Amino acid sequence: MTRQEIEGEILSIFRREFEVENPGMDDNLREAYGFDSIDAIELLLGIEKLLGFDLTQEEKKQAMDIRTINQICDYIERIAQARAAAAGKK
Amino acid sequence: MERRVVITACSAITPIGHGRDRILESLLKGISGVKPLKEDELLSRFIHSKVYGTVDYPIDYDFKRQFRKTMAPCAYYACQVAKEVLEQSGLPQDFITSGKLGVAFGSIHGSPLTQRDIYRTFFGALADKDDKAYKTIGAVDYLKSMVHTTAVNITKMFGITGRVISSGTACTTSSQSIGYGYESVKFGMQEAMLCGGADEYDTITVAVFDNLLACSTAFNDEPHRTPRPFDKLRDGLVVAEGGGAVMLEEYEFAKKRGANIIAEVIGFACNNNGGDLILPNLQGITNTLKLGLENAKINPEDVDLISAHATATKMGDIIEAQAIANVFGNNPYVVGLKGYMGHTMAACGSIETILSLYMMQEGFIAPTLNLEEVDERCAMIKHVQKIIQQPVKTIAVQNFAFGGVNTILLLRKIS
Repeated sequence: MTRQEIEGEILSIFRREFEVENPGMDDNLREAYGFDSIDAIELLLGIEKLLGFDLTQEEKKQAMDIRTINQICDYIERIAQARAAAAGKK
Repeated sequence: MERRVVITACSAITPIGHGRDRILESLLKGISGVKPLKEDELLSRFIHSKVYGTVDYPIDYDFKRQFRKTMAPCAYYACQVAKEVLEQSGLPQDFITSGKLGVAFGSIHGSPLTQRDIYRTFFGALADKDDKAYKTIGAVDYLKSMVHTTAVNITKMFGITGRVISSGTACTTSSQSIGYGYESVKFGMQEAMLCGGADEYDTITVAVFDNLLACSTAFNDEPHRTPRPFDKLRDGLVVAEGGGAVMLEEYEFAKKRGANIIAEVIGFACNNNGGDLILPNLQGITNTLKLGLENAKINPEDVDLISAHATATKMGDIIEAQAIANVFGNNPYVVGLKGYMGHTMAACGSIETILSLYMMQEGFIAPTLNLEEVDERCAMIKHVQKIIQQPVKTIAVQNFAFGGVNTILLLRKIS
């Protein structure tokens, strides 16, 4: 998945699930849209669907410091690359 | 320190209407809110009682997603009536968030619709041997279905920081809310309390009463003719949905700020039968009524009107009539408001309080709907079978619940 595709999917999740239209990519989601810990858990479910695999507890905990859309996209890229790398080693 | 407590706002969503005007119209015209039970593709086909007190009109909610995400239908009712009561009270925003205002609000068991979704997922996962299906249980399902969901969705939405009381005592849930709210203000713990209860459309509750043979089944083809409190042909209760809220304030505080004082809460009592969890208990209820009068420091003859619990079960109505006769004789008028809408469960105490306040304000007593021929075993008290135009000064609101819990609230007009 390209960075552009990831951004498109995440913006779609935000529009559909969180009723946030066209957020700035570096907006602080909590401050700007009241995005809270409950939303973060719901978002992780959406990310698992997007990636097509379950996130581990460790991977989920890494997401708890995320504040912006750009950081969400970075997170998804990082997880996808780490999984791909791990799969390549096997 | 004992302080006087007054009601300065009230609002209800009921099967006979939302808000004062619609509810009064239904009371004055004798309109029932009981409708056919809806098909729910789960329990409705097994339930013998095919009637339900239904909120079947649209409500114009305006809640932002940040609030909606933790709200089940019962919390929608709760937050809507809470919003209306806060607006009506005119309490300033800085007071609402000051910690001086608390919330006493409940539902009988959180949100059964949300719980149903959880069980559907769980049992579906078991049946399909799908280990991952449990993940589809939402992160907010507990927040939607916990027993205090109505109370804390209200505190969240309006930034209320005072105490939270969330009774979950079935049919006495919101009469306890008002009673414990009253005590919180009376004894100086809070300056004001937003009190009430709400329950959503739910066939699990109907199934429970249906299994106990306590639901009405004889009027499935004519829903508006049941329930029939104190009537010879009554055959059980009708489950209903709705929400009600009142604002209680310390009298001097309310007077000083120029609040519209609707009535004073002059007493409250709650006790338990200390035995059977289902059967009505004459001694227990008689004691409750006496305790209420004692708490209000009034005599039985001071009460003009009793809003009876009167669910229209065979034995419940007889025992209540006997208890009323024991304590009040046949002096006060007695109305069974469930005749209009059925049993709104956690909301019934607050809704019946609000309807009583409307009658006090308007100076009339509505008849018990569907009371056509009084059961001779309930005939020793003064029933209302047609509209009575008469000032009402002091009202007793009685509610009783599974678990043997009994409550009485005493309300008085401020002269």
